[in-house]
Amino acid sequence: MSLWVDKYRPTSLSKLSYHTEQAAQLKRLVQNGDFPHLLVFGPSGAGKKTRITCLLRELYGAGVEKLRIEHHNFTTPSKKKIEITTIASNYHIEVCPSDAGVQDRVVVQELIKMVAQAQQLDSSTQREFKVVLLTEVDRLTKDAQHALRRTMEKYVTTCRLILCCESTSKVIPAIRSRCLGVRVPAPSHEQINSILQTVCKKEGLTLPPELASRIADKSSRNLRRAILMLEACKVQQYPFRPDQQVVEADWEVFLRETANAIVSQQSPRRLLEVRGRLYELLTHCIPPDVIIRGLLAELIDSCDGQLKAEVTQWAAYYEHRLQLGNKSIYHLEAFVAKFMSIYKKFLDEGMAAMML
Amino acid sequence: MDIRRFFGAAPGAGKTKPAQKTSSSAKEKAGVKKSSQTKRKAAVIYDSDSDGEEVPPVKQQKTAEAKSAKPNKTEVKTPPSRKKSDPKPVLKPTSAADFFGAASPTHRVSRTTAVAKKKTGFDAGKVVDSETNKEFHDDEAFMETLAELDKKKAAATSVSPDKKKQENGSQKAKPTKTKEDATSPKKTRDKSPPLRGSPKKTSPQKSKYFDKTSDDLKMKKKIKLESQDGDETKAHQPNAKKTSPEKAKSEKTPSPKKSPTKDTDQDVEKKPSKGGYRAYLTREGPRALGTKEIPQGEENCLGGLTFVLTGILESMERHEAKELVERYGGKVTGSVSRKTSYVVVGRDAGESKLNKVSQLGVKTLDEDGLLELVRTSPGKPYDLPPEATSKGKKSPPKKSPNKPEPAATSRKPAASSSHVGSPKKPAVSLDPTAGSPEPSLLWVDKYKPQTTKAIIGQQGDRSNVKKLLNWLRTWPKHHSGRQMKEDGSGFRAALLSGPPGVGKTTAATLCCQELGFTYIELNASDTRSKRSLQEEVSEALTTRSIVGFQKQGTKHAGTMRQAVIMDEVDGMAGNEDRGGIAELINLIKHSKVPIICMCNDRAHQKMRSLVNYCFDLRFQRPRVEQIRAAMMSMAFKEGLKIPPPALNQIIEATNHDVRQVIHQLYMWSVQDKGLTFDQAKEASKQAHKDIKQGPFEVTRKVFSSGEETARMTIMDKSDLFFHDYSMVPLFVQENYPHAQPHAARGDVKKHLSLLSQTADSICDGDLVDRLIRSQQSWGLLPTQAIYASVLPGEYMRGHLSGMINFPGWLGQFSKQNRLKRLLQELHMHMHLRTSCTKKSLQEDYLDPLRRRILNLLVKKETEGVPEAVELLSAYDLMREDYDGLLELTEFKGRPNMADKVNSKVKSAFTRAYNKEAHMQPYSTSVAPKKKRGGAAATSVDMEEGGEGGDVEESDEEKEDPKLDPMIKVKKPSAAKGKSESGKGKGRGKGRGKKSA
Repeated sequence: MSLWVDKYRPTSLSKLSYHTEQAAQLKRLVQNGDFPHLLVFGPSGAGKKTRITCLLRELYGAGVEKLRIEHHNFTTPSKKKIEITTIASNYHIEVCPSDAGVQDRVVVQELIKMVAQAQQLDSSTQREFKVVLLTEVDRLTKDAQHALRRTMEKYVTTCRLILCCESTSKVIPAIRSRCLGVRVPAPSHEQINSILQTVCKKEGLTLPPELASRIADKSSRNLRRAILMLEACKVQQYPFRPDQQVVEADWEVFLRETANAIVSQQSPRRLLEVRGRLYELLTHCIPPDVIIRGLLAELIDSCDGQLKAEVTQWAAYYEHRLQLGNKSIYHLEAFVAKFMSIYKKFLDEGMAAMML
Repeated sequence: MDIRRFFGAAPGAGKTKPAQKTSSSAKEKAGVKKSSQTKRKAAVIYDSDSDGEEVPPVKQQKTAEAKSAKPNKTEVKTPPSRKKSDPKPVLKPTSAADFFGAASPTHRVSRTTAVAKKKTGFDAGKVVDSETNKEFHDDEAFMETLAELDKKKAAATSVSPDKKKQENGSQKAKPTKTKEDATSPKKTRDKSPPLRGSPKKTSPQKSKYFDKTSDDLKMKKKIKLESQDGDETKAHQPNAKKTSPEKAKSEKTPSPKKSPTKDTDQDVEKKPSKGGYRAYLTREGPRALGTKEIPQGEENCLGGLTFVLTGILESMERHEAKELVERYGGKVTGSVSRKTSYVVVGRDAGESKLNKVSQLGVKTLDEDGLLELVRTSPGKPYDLPPEATSKGKKSPPKKSPNKPEPAATSRKPAASSSHVGSPKKPAVSLDPTAGSPEPSLLWVDKYKPQTTKAIIGQQGDRSNVKKLLNWLRTWPKHHSGRQMKEDGSGFRAALLSGPPGVGKTTAATLCCQELGFTYIELNASDTRSKRSLQEEVSEALTTRSIVGFQKQGTKHAGTMRQAVIMDEVDGMAGNEDRGGIAELINLIKHSKVPIICMCNDRAHQKMRSLVNYCFDLRFQRPRVEQIRAAMMSMAFKEGLKIPPPALNQIIEATNHDVRQVIHQLYMWSVQDKGLTFDQAKEASKQAHKDIKQGPFEVTRKVFSSGEETARMTIMDKSDLFFHDYSMVPLFVQENYPHAQPHAARGDVKKHLSLLSQTADSICDGDLVDRLIRSQQSWGLLPTQAIYASVLPGEYMRGHLSGMINFPGWLGQFSKQNRLKRLLQELHMHMHLRTSCTKKSLQEDYLDPLRRRILNLLVKKETEGVPEAVELLSAYDLMREDYDGLLELTEFKGRPNMADKVNSKVKSAFTRAYNKEAHMQPYSTSVAPKKKRGGAAATSVDMEEGGEGGDVEESDEEKEDPKLDPMIKVKKPSAAKGKSESGKGKGRGKGRGKKSA
């Protein structure tokens, strides 16, 4: 028994419910027996990983589903020990090198080389190559990416790399050019709708279409989130009602409350309160860019036309600097302070205009 | 070279009559006619010649000597004196315009003024020199001829050549006529007064000068006239050359303010006694700062005067004005009283002060008046080092005779005597005698206090030394019977604590000596481990020194007592002194002799245990006056001359460290016996003790406004950052919203925009920080200092409301890391079942999962337990992961669903989970984190399962930070079992909540 999202995950390329053309293409690619390095990218919840596992299954058969978790230990040149966890079957290995933080280069150098250098024992029953699946490639440091590019070429006979990431903008061009890019777009609202209906049908539930479309709306085309929301709704109340409130995660509610706090009062004291809330979000591993986006979405609702543009521009400005800096709280706070400043001015001017 | 040669006039022709004068003028005309362009050349030639002329004066003097022995002597004596004092100020201003005005085209402008000057000068000359009628007449005649010349030339040539001619004429006239010779310098002299900024002052000065010059003239008559002439002219020319560019400048600028500067510049060159003007002010500042040059007055010329500054002075900051007054021996007080000599009134002066001024009839000055006062007030005329006397040094305010004089000069600038006969001169002889004693001893040792009374700042009855003496005296009485008493005297040891250089060690040793204790001193240079303490000290304490026997017959005989002085106990650390403190405490407990311990920082961690056993005596830094008095007497003995304000500077710079002050003085005495205010200021800058400030103090300084920060330069401000470059940015960031910026003036909008600017600047600092750390480019630190500390300070300058907080970032950061680890662990455990990244795990997955589980536990209670366990194991989660899951998904201020779970259900849930064996795809023993959890899961549950269930969630949170240090502490001691049980307890409580 597990959550619906895992329960109803398709396991083969033919069972995929959307982007079927692409699925067929991948299938053909694999049936040829060989394929280049892949770079799979697309937004979160679009089904990248699902597609990759389907592909692997297509490639190696059911054996690929027998997974094991392995721990690898490495020592960096500076004698620092790092531990990395991999998931491996007989045919492939899945690594997230960015777990090692800034030391990911060592992981790429040691682990991937080690795996890639080993030949398959029995190439008659198996493919001639193993697959190394690297996730969150966009979080790799530049060093690690450069370490990767040579490895990709050198061991191309014994291993294929599948890189998985959300955006290619942080992948260096050298790697992009060595891979076949596979873009997995987010499902459309209708697709999500239909999938939600299918899930409910399989569970023996009836889902009002209004609720389904509202969930699809709220999920911002993230299928995983949509299905999880659906389940949360079910947990909250069943049978469904069309006007049922879609359950949101606590952090989202918390973020919205924070935004409301900013709008309702602009003062140094309030800034300190907001700082506390921002800290709370950050410590709970909510990425700062998500926070700033969420804040902006809420703040903008209480702004006028021209102010909207200004606030958005500032949000983008601080989001960018946040990537350049070390301590994201500084930048989030600076954004809040900036907003407070311009919003207060805006309000006062509005008041003055009213008085006139 | 003599100018006269150019004009072919023989020096011998000096005694001819006016007729000849006209002839000379005729000659001159001819010269002019030759060509105006040659004149230009002639001017240039003068220029070049003048350099060479410096030598000849001696020659000429020598020739003069050869001629007559008697006059020579007088001559030899007089010229230098004249050079130094009178003729110079007189001569300088004249020549520049006369000789070189023509050379520069700018003079066209100044021509009329030059004429005007001449005339005024001429008038003055009339008045002054009336006694020498002849001269006067000649002068007039000469002027007339000059005027004629002028008219004629004006018609023919342009203005500037005109002038040249005129000058040349005057020049020419000199050699031909002796009387004219005499007058020409006079004329030049005459010109000087108008140049001075304030006419009121100049006239008396003039008169004085002229008196002198007239004296000179008399002298001249005695001497050979020619030689005199030569001297004069020579003196003339170099002067002229030096001053000419300045003059040109000053004449260009119409402002009268500048003229005094030029004047004084000339002073510098000629008169060592007066010194020169110096550009003293800093040029920064918005107003008219630095426009007025501060005069270099005579030493101690404001001695004994008391000033009150009020309002805004246009050209200097208040502290500069104060410094100025103090430098010349004056005193600046805050409020007007009867004793106030002057009130310096600036713009927007305080009402109340002005009222008081009018009530008390105190004299007022404006800014210029103050400068004037400095410039004109008499001090000691010659500021030569040997003149430095202890008396002068000690009692500059006592110098009463000066008092009335400056007053007079300032009111009516007619003060006639610029040089006051200084009564201090005879004191010169004192110096060498005092300076002689054996130089081998450092002053610190030489002037070490010999009695407890002599310790600086410890004279009072309630002073620490008194207390220490009493304590020592009564020690045997109190501790003869072994019981400890509760009052302060019950301690067996004393702990003297205080900053370095205040006399702790001195106090201890002196007290022992005075009470006849023999003492053993152990300091940081001795090994003070447990063993050596035991051996050495206890041995020493149980034996008696032979000194006691030798001293028999003296008053302490027989009663020879002992004490132990443990100096620098806070230095007892490291491997060498292992166990030292503990042993010391042990010694103290059983000691039969008093023990005196000393340390700098009694709040230090290492001292914590010791403090409880010691009589606590805290030494404060002596006040400035206390140190100064002692230093003054010492300086007197050493023949070192130092003005009190200078000494204050040094004392403050060394942060009231007596020892260091003495060292500084010693160092200075080696170089020079006299120390002026400026030197002392410079020295104090060098001597400035770098005091390390804590980040709290730094943060306060960053944001606070007022005296101390107003004076800080940008470098000082960025230095604040460097007190701790890793902590200060955090402190600033934490506390900037608390600051109330004065710039906002209570306007919320402005305040907010300042906040925003500050936050932006802090962000910039963060970006720089990232660069520094990632690329090791530490050279950027000053940049970060500006962004992270200086700019925020500037924006938010005001006052901090509330106390300064410790940066929350550190705590939040470690919490974030802990939760990150939790998330990673969850991710790893769930990874086989899910396909998401950590990010989406937290954003999307965990919340629904928690809802699902909690829903089961809350709604179905115990019936839901099996299902919940099943769900956990479906995701390969362990019981502990469930706690982690809750922690990751709970936010402050959001309804806490986990609280709704019945504690009975919770314990049932735990039991149900533990009953089954769960196959996990990962090894649970590899990571130490998991081991923790495992141990807790197996061992603790049984014993603590029934414990109170109402332990709150916050309890768990509180414990978490405690846990971390525990792990850190215990790991090195390899007490794994302990740490596990500790952990177990922490967990157990958390679990208890669920179970009970």
